[in-house]
Amino acid sequence: MDVFQNLATGFFAAATPINLLFCLFGCLIGTLIGVLPGIGPIATIAMLLPITFGLSPLGALIMLAGIYYGAQYGGSTTAILLRLPGESSSVVTCIDGYQMALRGRAGAALGIAAVGSFFAGCVGTVLIAAFAPILASFAEQFRSPEYFALMLFGLLAAVILANGSVIKAIAMVILGLLFGLVGTESQSGTARFTFGVPELYDGIDFVPVAMGLFGFAEIMINLDRKEGVRAITARITSLMPTREEIRRALPAALRGTSVGALLGILPGGGAVLSSFAAYTLEKKISKVPAEFGQGAVEGVAAPESANNAGAQTSFIPLLTLGIPSTPVMAIMMGAMTIQGIAPGTAIISDRPELFWGMIASMWIGNLMLVVINLPLIGIWVKLLRVPYRLLFPCILVLCCVGAYSISSSTFLVMLMAGFALLGYIFSKLGCEGAPFLLGFVLGPLMEENFRRSMVLSFGDPMIFVQRPISLTILVASLGLVLLIVLPQFRSTREVAFQE
Amino acid sequence: MIQVKSPQDFWAGLLFAAIGCAALWVGRNYNAGVIMKMGPGYLPRALCWGLIGLGALLSVRSFAISGPGIDGSKVRPQFFILLAIVVFALTIERFGLAPSVLVVTVIAALASHEMKWIETATLAVAMSAASVLLFIYLLSQSMEIWTWNL
Repeated sequence: MDVFQNLATGFFAAATPINLLFCLFGCLIGTLIGVLPGIGPIATIAMLLPITFGLSPLGALIMLAGIYYGAQYGGSTTAILLRLPGESSSVVTCIDGYQMALRGRAGAALGIAAVGSFFAGCVGTVLIAAFAPILASFAEQFRSPEYFALMLFGLLAAVILANGSVIKAIAMVILGLLFGLVGTESQSGTARFTFGVPELYDGIDFVPVAMGLFGFAEIMINLDRKEGVRAITARITSLMPTREEIRRALPAALRGTSVGALLGILPGGGAVLSSFAAYTLEKKISKVPAEFGQGAVEGVAAPESANNAGAQTSFIPLLTLGIPSTPVMAIMMGAMTIQGIAPGTAIISDRPELFWGMIASMWIGNLMLVVINLPLIGIWVKLLRVPYRLLFPCILVLCCVGAYSISSSTFLVMLMAGFALLGYIFSKLGCEGAPFLLGFVLGPLMEENFRRSMVLSFGDPMIFVQRPISLTILVASLGLVLLIVLPQFRSTREVAFQE
Repeated sequence: MIQVKSPQDFWAGLLFAAIGCAALWVGRNYNAGVIMKMGPGYLPRALCWGLIGLGALLSVRSFAISGPGIDGSKVRPQFFILLAIVVFALTIERFGLAPSVLVVTVIAALASHEMKWIETATLAVAMSAASVLLFIYLLSQSMEIWTWNL
């Protein structure tokens, strides 16, 4: 089998001491971020992006990916012990995980969450290894019209999955697209919205936008609230679940993994949606739905497996099509671009050691997280005692120095302040940053692909419906639009987000 | 009497529409072209009109459909956070990394009303040393530790 040979190449590339170190470092930082509420994976990856400039491309990607899935692990720890979701993807774990902890089963819940995540991570790795090359070779037939249609589909999906008002989400996507267009236009060389600032000729740099909108806006919102006291009620005795708990957790973890793996591939899906969907599914098919909310084992096993599987498979669209499906993937794309790698179909054939190395590192990272983190839970929980008033100045300094170091430009730092204010105002007005970020990244790509399609067809817009693949994607997009407009679906969507 | 029932939507709508109008005005000279042969101004203009339309819809709708209010905002944290970033931008090239981080950490810490002076001073010194170590020695970024360029 080719897959195994390829995976062997990957393990060979990823298992060098230095790359293992990056992987460990990424996982540890990720867990730390996951444990600490008030700073999410998007802000962290953006914050650490400048630090990876000096690394080898593979090392940088391994570390950044480690942060992402490390955060899933860390988030569940605080969700179970404190009913405090460190990450949005572990919000559902709070419900039953914390109840388990109150009944003295905190250790078992943590153990189930970790092993479930590891299992899901393994499945995710195999899925990427098996399907990414197939998808990539299929995508080699894609030309501009297909790419344009795909991006449109991705943006529509992001709108549907955004929390809250659909109109606001669409407006945020459009605003993101508009900001994405700043810079020199490729064909005519017209400088658009640059206000004569030389730093803007190449477009707005991605890092200050992500740091401002996610990192700083988060800090500012947190400071508006009163700081709560974090009390730890649960004591951890043994991480071993009972036989009965294992019997119930196993099928739930399996189902959670499948749900997560599927939803993760979809644009806009990713870890958050996966965990919600898996929890809802478990509740629906359970023989004792009343137990949910009272400490049902399935309510921990399923969403925790799902968010990890989703986190893993959300790499597929980026690695095969070059289209980021979630904000975290948009940042990973930024990291690749900075390292001089163009994500897309060519990456597997041109840079096999990079592609397979990254996939192998995901498996290694998941193993590290189980082996290293479970014994470290005590330390992570102690870190929670670090008060926020000491934490946020550190984040702020890291972001400032990071933004400056991208190109030794104080303009980027000022720009970051602007986006911080914008992000703060938007979240006060109930508008989410995620659709904005996706629009921002996809804006220039969409314009370019649309224009190329027009050149391809000599100005005939029918090209989008004459090509079968692009037509299929457009029909699917139309389906999404119908979903937005149809009233029944809108009400279920609202219910889903309230749960 | 007409009343805004959803303040978040109302102001978000106005903001979107305002940004749309501003961008439309800034980009008034970009050549639009036609859809078959898009000029540099085509997409920006279309997006601006989209923003204005959605913004207007949001604002108008907010008179009819009620929604959540806007949470109270504190002036102190927002002021000091933004000030800290701006001060960093103004001092990094003039005085170097170490003094800049020292000052910025203190300004940032002022954003929290729980700030304590001795604790903050310790943090500032530690952050200053740590960032010099990380960015200049470990990552060899081209920054001065301290300098004097006014």
